[in-house]
Amino acid sequence: MSGCSPQEAAVRSGSTAATAGRGKPERSGEQRGRENREAQQQSSLPGQNRGATGWDVNISMSVKAFELVPAVEREQLMGEKVRIGIECIECCGQHLYVGTNDCFIHHFLLEERSTKGRLTYSSQKLLQKFLGLKKPVAELKAASALERLIILCDGTVSLVDMVTLEPVPFGGAKVKNVIAFCVNENPVTADPFCVEMAVVSARRRAVQIFTVHEDRVQMLKEVTTPEQPCALSVDGYFLCLALPTQYMILNYSSGASQDLFPYDSEERKPIVKRIGREEFLLAAPGGLGMFANAEGISQRAPVSWSESVIGAAVCFPYVVALDEGFVTVHSMLDQQLKQTLSFREGHILQNFEGKVVVSSTKAVYVLVPLPLEQQIQDLLAGHRVEEALTLAEGAQRNIPKDKFQILHKRILQQAGFIQFGQLQFSEAKEHFRKGQLDVRELISLYPLLLPASSSFTRCHPPLHEFADLYHLAQGDQEKVQRCKRFLISYLREVRSSESTNGFREDVDTALLKLYAESGHDSLLDLLASNNACLLADSAPWLEKHHRYFALGLLYHYNSQDALALQLWVRVVNGDLQDSTRADLFEYVVDFLSYCSNLDLVWKYAEWALQRDQKIGVQIFTKRPVSKEQTAQLNPDEVVKYLEKHHQALVLYLEHLVLENKVQKEKYHTQLAVLYADRVLGLLTRPAATEEQLCSARRKLQHLLRESDLYRVQLLLGKLQDSELLLTERATLHGKLEEHDKALNILVHQLKNCRAAEDYCTWASQDQDQAYRQRLFHQLLSVYLDPDVPGGTQTVEAVDLLNRYSDIFDSAQVLELVPEAWSLTLLRPFLCGALRASVHARRTAQVALALAQAENMQLQHDRLKYRGGPVFMSEKRGCQLCHNTFREPDFVCLPGGTPVHTHCATQRLRDSPTKRSQLDHGHTCNHT
Amino acid sequence: MKKPDVKVAILGDMNVGKTSLLHRYTERKFKDTISTVGGAFYLKQWGPYNISIWDTAGREQFHGLGSMYCRGAAAIMLIYDVTNWQSYVELENRFLSLTDTANADCIFVIVGNKADLTDSQAHVPEAQSEPGAEPGTESEPEASPTCLPPPASPLLLHRQVNREDAMALYGRVLRYKGLEENACLPADRTCFETSAKTGYNVDGLFETVFDMVLPSILKKKSDGENSTVDLEIPRTDKKSKAGCCS
Repeated sequence: MSGCSPQEAAVRSGSTAATAGRGKPERSGEQRGRENREAQQQSSLPGQNRGATGWDVNISMSVKAFELVPAVEREQLMGEKVRIGIECIECCGQHLYVGTNDCFIHHFLLEERSTKGRLTYSSQKLLQKFLGLKKPVAELKAASALERLIILCDGTVSLVDMVTLEPVPFGGAKVKNVIAFCVNENPVTADPFCVEMAVVSARRRAVQIFTVHEDRVQMLKEVTTPEQPCALSVDGYFLCLALPTQYMILNYSSGASQDLFPYDSEERKPIVKRIGREEFLLAAPGGLGMFANAEGISQRAPVSWSESVIGAAVCFPYVVALDEGFVTVHSMLDQQLKQTLSFREGHILQNFEGKVVVSSTKAVYVLVPLPLEQQIQDLLAGHRVEEALTLAEGAQRNIPKDKFQILHKRILQQAGFIQFGQLQFSEAKEHFRKGQLDVRELISLYPLLLPASSSFTRCHPPLHEFADLYHLAQGDQEKVQRCKRFLISYLREVRSSESTNGFREDVDTALLKLYAESGHDSLLDLLASNNACLLADSAPWLEKHHRYFALGLLYHYNSQDALALQLWVRVVNGDLQDSTRADLFEYVVDFLSYCSNLDLVWKYAEWALQRDQKIGVQIFTKRPVSKEQTAQLNPDEVVKYLEKHHQALVLYLEHLVLENKVQKEKYHTQLAVLYADRVLGLLTRPAATEEQLCSARRKLQHLLRESDLYRVQLLLGKLQDSELLLTERATLHGKLEEHDKALNILVHQLKNCRAAEDYCTWASQDQDQAYRQRLFHQLLSVYLDPDVPGGTQTVEAVDLLNRYSDIFDSAQVLELVPEAWSLTLLRPFLCGALRASVHARRTAQVALALAQAENMQLQHDRLKYRGGPVFMSEKRGCQLCHNTFREPDFVCLPGGTPVHTHCATQRLRDSPTKRSQLDHGHTCNHT
Repeated sequence: MKKPDVKVAILGDMNVGKTSLLHRYTERKFKDTISTVGGAFYLKQWGPYNISIWDTAGREQFHGLGSMYCRGAAAIMLIYDVTNWQSYVELENRFLSLTDTANADCIFVIVGNKADLTDSQAHVPEAQSEPGAEPGTESEPEASPTCLPPPASPLLLHRQVNREDAMALYGRVLRYKGLEENACLPADRTCFETSAKTGYNVDGLFETVFDMVLPSILKKKSDGENSTVDLEIPRTDKKSKAGCCS
């Protein structure tokens, strides 16, 4: 064995060497073979003799799917005998059989060794056997179940023992004149100690099917073919034949045949390989590798080989082919050429139970497939995401399902990170989603985003090559920003899906940090909604980015209202800068009004009231009515507390009295007094405007009029001295039912008859008609009172009468009215009064007539029901009990039939629904 | 790998644009293609079904493979170049015989490609003529200076094959197949003129073909079902017969 592995050298030498080597096939085969081996030994020295050596890989393709590993070296086979060459190979488990052109069979034990992840082979020659002819050994096939080796030499098939290589005599048919044979790997017979073999005979245009047993060979069937086949393969009943001019499929059981496609056997040796159940690989014109199934349909696209292809095999998902100078590797998934290994003097390429063996005439090598994972990792390392995924998905059925899922997920995640690194965010997102990426892998790329308490550690081996975001962006701030925006959108999607189970804290905290950093509006939405942001980790971050309002929300979310308020108050006071909310003060007040912690409310109420009483008092006024007794404020306490804050107190009392309609004398009186004080204060203050005064008086008047609870005497005492507050005083007198005084004030002092009339209406609004009439008469008499200075107020009196004509009692008015008044003056009043009187009379007449009519009707009905007289005698029988009447009492059934009272009762009792009618005595049951 | 439910094959002389048509449909781009080696196929998800589309090599060298690609096909698209009479003639001479291996109920469509070279109408971007097409697929602006006269210019090539010729060919194809013309799809539905370059009518072509092969898929599926049910049905038939006789 050589000390170095050829693939190392292969990678090192460039692709130019491949083309150079391909272009100059001038040396003799023997010479080249030796050079091959020497080059192999030399290639551990980098750079030496590169162009002349035979090993290279086309770097541009860069997938390393296979490595060429030597198995049997030249010395082991033929030593220095130059003319000896390998003709055929069979490999069965660890046994390697080599047939040579000098009629020898060499038996090697091939041992696989794995050193540092590299596979190497060591071969040990066990035996060699001369078959006694001068002909080359054409084909070898092991039948391991029989422990026999089937040999084709000189057109004859013979059997030897697999271990001793001694010929085994066998009975049955002799198999002679054979061009080619082929063992059925998908046998039709169920006998495990029997091998099926299809044979092409040189003498017949036919294929013969044999069964080979330990000691005998039997012919099962012979099928004729249109031409002499030159190569064949078999699967089940299906023979795939290469005829001289075309390929065909022949079912040897049914004889049905299917032409595939023409080719020219003169031009090229045909290749027919079974590659799986009922599927064959064929060499087609133009250097194509065609796939065909037993129905003659191609289910895969062809691969493109060179014209000089010698051998081919499938090692899923690759098609490996050998031509004069190279081993080529095509993917069956996308038909692309994936790898080229230079291999001079190639002679045989065959797949033995998954082991691809390639040989020159002098030495044997094994094409060792690199582990799928490594191939995929190589592709990913080359950022060839699509190819890596195609390869992984193509290999799905060759890997156990659970293992595949793990692998596939990982590849998807890696692919996602590669695309993320290239800022192809939408593709990356799709791959993350499909690969069910632990979102923390992504978050951890961004420094400081994961909470310190997070238990997360990055997946090992790593999914990507990036240390962190700054490493990825290489200092490009624009890139960093784009990555951050991507993460924001990605985390939002993750949050809304269910995939965050178990690490919502990490996700939410990271999102909060990103929002805070970028000044994103959604920060507040995040904090206001249901979230799992970690306080310990988020608080310093928010502070760092001066997002104090948000921090307050976070404190609040974590039930630390005291801290939240403390922070907000500092912002309102200007100690901290955060312009998130211009109306933060209002917000805090609102917050306090909802705050269930009363200690906090009292603590910050003082601050709020000092800042702005009008807004501050909303802490108390806007407080929702809650059922919890503990969260309720006692109004008495509030009122007491607000003593110092006059404006706030007024607002609070207004809230209690006017809005909440609290029926408590104390509040009403206090509010009224406060109003009165205000008005009185304004009156004494010369600077006060008319408007202020009006508004203050309107409030006072309104309260005095509407409320019945305040202490009237107290207020009257307060307002008694004021000559200006006449309306108020009149109202107060009204409250005391002192209408005289009130009207006097209104008419004579205020001289406002409109107000006097309104007073009458107001004072009598909840009273009956007579009360109202009395009030209006009182007002009229005040107008007509001749004893006051200024005499009677005729005009006002007339207006009053004319306007409220329906209220007054006209008879009384006529007595009061002075004789001197003209009729025209009182015309509207009199008209109204007359109309009303006439109307009342006529209405009464109608009502009377209607009542009489109704009475008549009732009388009529009564007579009708009573009917004629009922004659009663002792002989008469009751219809119910058929006894005679002994007493004069009876009950009349409808229709006038007399029955006993007790019978009627009995009967009624039986029909309970009618029982109530029993009480009325007569005429009941309608049965 | 997903199993295709139905197969569509594209046939035609070399250089008529078979690969470009498929490429335009699948990638929504027109780009230079190299001569197809052997063949290629593309799996199209059409509703719940997988349709495999085989793009064959037009070169004489690969002619022998054609009948393999056509085997079991439910639809065959015969493509010619509207500016090349020979490409039209070759369809009948060389390619028609390859379709012998296709399904008995195979659908044929005749497609004249490169319509942009003779018809200014075919320059209409796909987005306008085909509502389903994505915008921005016209690669025309960059490509036109090199090989195409601008749309407005009258420097259009002379058309060598007319639509009537294509419809006549369709009739001859049916006759060759021994099919009754009135039992098959009418010629005006099976003859297309397209441009892989501008995308003109390409989606229309493929989508029409896919819709045409749907019955074939359903038939194949129901045949598959029948084969499992068959065991039961004859038995019940026999029983009822026996009842009649006795």
